Amino acid sequence: MPLNAIDSLALSHFLLTGAVLFCLGLIGFISRRNLIIMFLCTEMMFQGVAVSLVAFSRFHLNDTGQTFVIFVLTIAAAEAALALGLVVLLFRRKKTLDALAWSDLKG
Amino acid sequence: MHKAEIIQKVAGLWPEIVMLIGATACLFIGLSKGKGPRRSTPWIAAATLVLAALLVCGKSSVSDGAGALAGLAGYVKLAVAGIGLILLMVAAGVPDQLRQTRDAEAAKDFDPGDLLTGEFYAFFLLSLTGVMLTAGAGDLVWLFLALELTSLPTYVMVATSRDRVQAQESAVKYFFLGALSAAIFLYGFTLIYGATGSTEFAEITRIAQEQIAAHDGHVPGLLLIGIALSIVGICFKIAAVPMHFYAADVYEGAATPVTAFLAFVPKTAGAVALILILSLVGWPLPGAIESLLWIIAALTMTVGNVLGLLQTSVKRVLAYSSIAHSGYIVVGLLAGPAVNQAAGGALGDGLAAVLFYLVAYGLGTIASFAVLGCLRVNGDEAQTFDDISGLHKRHPFLAALMLVSVLSLVGLPPLVGFLGKVYLIGSAYGAGFTYLVIILVLNSAISAAYYLRIASACYFGEPNDAVESTGQFPRYAGALVAAALALILGVVGNGLVNASRNATTPVQAADTNQPVQQTAATSID
Repeated sequence: MPLNAIDSLALSHFLLTGAVLFCLGLIGFISRRNLIIMFLCTEMMFQGVAVSLVAFSRFHLNDTGQTFVIFVLTIAAAEAALALGLVVLLFRRKKTLDALAWSDLKG
Repeated sequence: MHKAEIIQKVAGLWPEIVMLIGATACLFIGLSKGKGPRRSTPWIAAATLVLAALLVCGKSSVSDGAGALAGLAGYVKLAVAGIGLILLMVAAGVPDQLRQTRDAEAAKDFDPGDLLTGEFYAFFLLSLTGVMLTAGAGDLVWLFLALELTSLPTYVMVATSRDRVQAQESAVKYFFLGALSAAIFLYGFTLIYGATGSTEFAEITRIAQEQIAAHDGHVPGLLLIGIALSIVGICFKIAAVPMHFYAADVYEGAATPVTAFLAFVPKTAGAVALILILSLVGWPLPGAIESLLWIIAALTMTVGNVLGLLQTSVKRVLAYSSIAHSGYIVVGLLAGPAVNQAAGGALGDGLAAVLFYLVAYGLGTIASFAVLGCLRVNGDEAQTFDDISGLHKRHPFLAALMLVSVLSLVGLPPLVGFLGKVYLIGSAYGAGFTYLVIILVLNSAISAAYYLRIASACYFGEPNDAVESTGQFPRYAGALVAAALALILGVVGNGLVNASRNATTPVQAADTNQPVQQTAATSID
């Protein structure tokens, strides 16, 4: 099936979705205090980027963007593994996931 | 990409492949039951680094097909392998210092932090591999993966470096801000791809030039926003202003040798990535990007130095000093490659200055952190000014090394930091950033206050009896080698100056093809 490039109007819809996801993630990251929720917010930012990449890929009619998305998902998975390991380590230490409990270093 | 191109590209990657094999070997041997094999992991790491350095030397004469920036990759890879060896000496004892490892043989209750010995060196090598790959990047996907490879292992290194809650606190701060910054520069990369339809640097540069020509010299908005977001995201790696606030906490919380690692390795990756990203639009930079970098540079220098004055912990002072040095590096990035040959010789090239400065700053800062790492107070790391007070009377050798390293960071002749600063200031002045040069010089004066405070505490303070040396020979050797190199390269720095200049020469060759710069050069002639 031959693929047609999407026009700029359709592209802008996808980009808007991606940007909204990215911004929601950013706002959540700044405003929430639970470490797991904060991590999920960064994941949401990554997914916003992924939506934009796929849309651009279709707009330019090349596969590079979609290839990029696969790598982005891989990195996101690696970060998730690391984040969950870190969260378990932290929870064993302080029995809380509140980010404010981790603010001893100051100066 | 054709088959021959891929083979050529992979042939240029032998140092990274060797590093990867070494890292895997460390990872597996670090899991072995006996202590003997696990003790061998630092040696495996050292051998890997030496082999990688030799491979870079062997390959440096052959172009690896990376295009205009082939010289950059060779220089950075060699610098990273060399300084990585010093860092390895400094970091060699880290896993053994931990309570967990000491009684891991008889560990009754499982704690994830317990199982660390060889893995530390594996992460160490992987992170260095990331920097090498960053330098060789020719594609946005590649650059993204390389930057992440640099950062991800450092989160683990910070979290497991010290048997203190602070280490974990700094790890969580570092990790979350790292993930945030990765998302930001990834969004930037996406917009660059969206604006040009390609992720290959050469292709992006070509299309960007066409678009700029089509828009009467204006850079299209999408590309501009993409580059700006990439810069802001990568600022996390170099600890520059919008993303700098983690640095002091993270550097304080991590074990001192790991701090030395953080102060050099991610910063190098970030600076190289910025060179690559900025070269997509080329120098002279578009007005908006130039203003952004100008503000970042001025704020980073000032914030770093002013806050550095207010600290009570030597580690935090050095952390703020590393922020300030990022500001100096951004000045060099702004100046860009030598456009104005009239400025003369090595002085006109901002990118070469950045590459030189990274090494100069790295040696000074690694030596100072290594000296701190050689000291211990009541079983914990030396951190405050009290801890290094009167160091000269107790450990004259360490005090001398500290003096050399802080003087190099101030930028006093005949040390390498002086050459680095002259080089940066010369290029920025040549490129017409007079105000920025004035800010840089003023900031160097401010920084002298806290650097000399460290030196005077070492030499004129009352000795602190609680302070003892950790007696780890490799760490002493690391401090000695870094400080000695800071002195030697300061006196006979021609080789490094030429190397850094050669590393960026192909960039200039590519840039002189641009009509704007050609006319600029001829009008001066």
